[in-house]
Amino acid sequence: MKTRNECREWRELLGAYALGHLEGDERAGLEAHLEGCPGCREELAALAPVARMLPHADPARFGPAPQPPPELGQRIAATIAAEKERTQQRRRRRLFGGLAFGGVAAAAATAVLLLFVLGGGSGSTEPAQQVRFANLPEGISIDATLEPHSYGTEIHMYVHGVPSGTLCKVWLRGPRGASYPAGTFRYRWGDDSDAVLSSALDLSRTRAVVVDTGKRTFTAPVSSPVAALDIANEEEPT
Amino acid sequence: MIQLGTSTRGALSRERDVREAYAAHSGELYGFAVRSLGDSGLAEEAVQETFVRAWRAGERFDPKIGSLRTWLFAILRNVVIDLGRARAVRPGVAEGGIEPAVEPLDEALQAWQMEEAMRRLGEDHRRVLVETYYRGRPYAEVAAELGVPEGTVKSRVYYGLRALRVVLEEMGYED
Repeated sequence: MKTRNECREWRELLGAYALGHLEGDERAGLEAHLEGCPGCREELAALAPVARMLPHADPARFGPAPQPPPELGQRIAATIAAEKERTQQRRRRRLFGGLAFGGVAAAAATAVLLLFVLGGGSGSTEPAQQVRFANLPEGISIDATLEPHSYGTEIHMYVHGVPSGTLCKVWLRGPRGASYPAGTFRYRWGDDSDAVLSSALDLSRTRAVVVDTGKRTFTAPVSSPVAALDIANEEEPT
Repeated sequence: MIQLGTSTRGALSRERDVREAYAAHSGELYGFAVRSLGDSGLAEEAVQETFVRAWRAGERFDPKIGSLRTWLFAILRNVVIDLGRARAVRPGVAEGGIEPAVEPLDEALQAWQMEEAMRRLGEDHRRVLVETYYRGRPYAEVAAELGVPEGTVKSRVYYGLRALRVVLEEMGYED
């Protein structure tokens, strides 16, 4: 019967043994111990594959690993955003192409196109905005991306972690606290796609995004790109 | 195993997930890309292409099959092969038969993995493994240099190998 201490003494030689560094009495003693000790044999078997992998490494490369340049992440995000935009444009063109065949639909398309032309001045040159919902309960995540359009603001909502089937209501809040409905959607477990909603409130005038999940309401501030707009007493859309 | 933030199926199809995955894995992927391509510019290209491909194929990622890290490395491996091919067809490189000795890719991945594991090891453990194994120095000499008994060097080799095993397991290595 081996005592635990005796085992430990032999065991601490297993590393050198696995590397083929043990010689003479120490080696013979350890081998005799191994014969009678399944625990130490098991430990050796666990170290052997690691010892076999050592020759693959080049010790000249154990220093700090090279790090990617800080802007690489942003470059990747921009590439993906651009590709997404191209895909969406193609989808829109397909939609418009389909509409052009019907007379009424064609008129509708014209009306939409007119809106694009007439509404050109309403801040559509602003970039899209990422909105952060902070202080969320554990396990819940909510994200929103706001895109400016001539008709108002397009909202991409992403909710995760609330019960499946939860009805989510979304509003945008204007400069003086007025709420503009942006629509509703249901969160379905396993569906990670964004809900795309829209509201008539211009992005430049949007101060917050509000999401009501039934049990709780979450609000995220929207950083105002042009603070001066707060003072300008513009007519609000109804 | 390393626990990853994104663990649902199709978890890389949103831009947000790509950002999270980038934060968690770009360092390792870049390290391996530099190791196998030998050029930081090409490595950046490879990492960028890896995340773009991962995003495009995001719906197909299934955590039941393997970790996100493993999946990203599999994509990077293909990207590196593609980049290597593109480089080989450029005039002047393939001709003349003076192709530089390039490690086969899987060997490079194994080498990089082991080097990364070594980097994650504690200084004491790495030191004794470098001195005794890679430099082949006698244990007594290393012990004298470190000012510890020879037995301590041996036990550090043992605990170093154990730690190395744990690190490799965390990195997804299975024997």
